This record gives sequence, structure tokens and C-alpha cells, in this order.
Amino acid sequence: MEERLYDLIFICRPDTPEADIDKVITTLEHVATEKGGKIDSVNKWGRKRMAYRVQKLREGYYVYMVIRSSQGEVVKELERRLKVADPVMKYLTVRLDEELKRQDKLKRHRERRAARRPRKTVPAAPPMPGTEPQAAAPTA
Amino acid sequence: MAEENTSQQQSYGSSGGGGGPRSSGPGGGPGGRPGGPAKRGKRSFVRKKKVCRFCVDKADFIDYKKAEILAPFIQERGKILPRRMTGTCSRHQRWLTVAIKRAQNIALLPFAAEL
Repeated sequence: MEERLYDLIFICRPDTPEADIDKVITTLEHVATEKGGKIDSVNKWGRKRMAYRVQKLREGYYVYMVIRSSQGEVVKELERRLKVADPVMKYLTVRLDEELKRQDKLKRHRERRAARRPRKTVPAAPPMPGTEPQAAAPTA
Repeated sequence: MAEENTSQQQSYGSSGGGGGPRSSGPGGGPGGRPGGPAKRGKRSFVRKKKVCRFCVDKADFIDYKKAEILAPFIQERGKILPRRMTGTCSRHQRWLTVAIKRAQNIALLPFAAEL
């Protein structure tokens, strides 16, 4: 199975000390490596106001990480851990690689079109009889 | 009905400049709309052409993590705005709805306004 890329965001209770959050992150890292995945990056967004109340709280400590793995088991286990972890209120995993692939494809497509455009427009521009040989010269 | 009306107005505007092919005077418009405003000529406003914001930016994907980008596309009460209001193209609207829904799930955007 080819490698997949995931976004994982989780929200901790705002009153948890930094040390506990770090503990959660390290356990997740352990779990990921154990199952054959890899955590590419961890980014603590810090305390943010949430758009709605979760467990009667208006704020949460957001942590964002990017995970790389070729086993679906990794995500399953990480989510189970997050569900069990006390300070975690909410989490979300999103698979990214398909979107990145699509993004890549579109980009290549656009570049190819951009490369083609100048050649296409030059002969098309002068339909008049007098200018035709001049236009043909640069393309040839 | 309102839609129809404005689209006619648009075609007026474009053809009117060069004394276009459909030089139907101020009297009877092609629609022959009953009542009031047709008599005194068209209501003179030009609807601005809406452009897909993401196409302008040449966006290849829409990031659900950037709530501030998505925020203009939801209503006060948290509904996702339809394409006809925002002018987003169909492809980007598809991506946009997915992004908004993801953002809602992680409490970056509201499902519904509170209270």
C-alpha cells in the first residue's frame, strides 16, 4: 500500500497544563512509530476560541500534526488513544494525499497550458493576408 | 422572475453601446413585461458580474484550517451560502463545502450561531 498523508487536529481542555499536552503528543508519537507510521510535524496552535461550546467550554488548546503512514491501523490506533485521553475534547483526522495529488495534477495542467498558450496565440492573431508571413516566421 | 429581468437588462447594456442588433427602443421591451417600469425605459443599474474568488486566486485546494478564508461563505446563522450569492464556480463550491464541513467538525466554524 502506498503511503498516505493525514492531518490530525485535536483540541485539549484549556485548563490542562502544557506538560500534559506534551505527554499526549509524545504518546501519540510512540504509537505512530510503533505501528509503522511517522509524525511529520507537530504544531501547537495554542488556546483558541472555538466556534461553539464543547463540553460547556468555549476555548480549547489546538494541536495540529501531520502524519505519514502506509497502514490504516495507525490512524485507528491514534484515534482510539485520543478518545481515551482525558484532556482531549475533540479530534479530527483528514486524509490529505488524494487532495495533494489532485492539486499537483491541476498545477501541472495549468503549467502545460501556460506553456502552450503563446505558441497558439501568435498565429491566431493575424488573420489578415499581409501579416501572415511575418507571423509564420517565429514559429518555424 | 427577478433573475430573468436582470439578465435582460444586462443584454441591453452590452448591445446598447454599439447600437446593437436588438435596437428595441425604450417603449416595448422584448419581454413585454406588463405594468410600470417598461414604459419609462429600463431601470438603470448594471449588475456586477460575480467572479469566483478561488478562480481569481487560482486555488488548487481550499484549506479547511483557514477559517478566516471560509468565513465569508457562511451566513450569520452558520448556513453555507449558495453559489448564486457568492459567485463561486461549481468546482470550487464543491471543495468549499467540504472544507467548511471539516472546519465545523473541529470547531473552527459554527454549525449554527449560538442562542
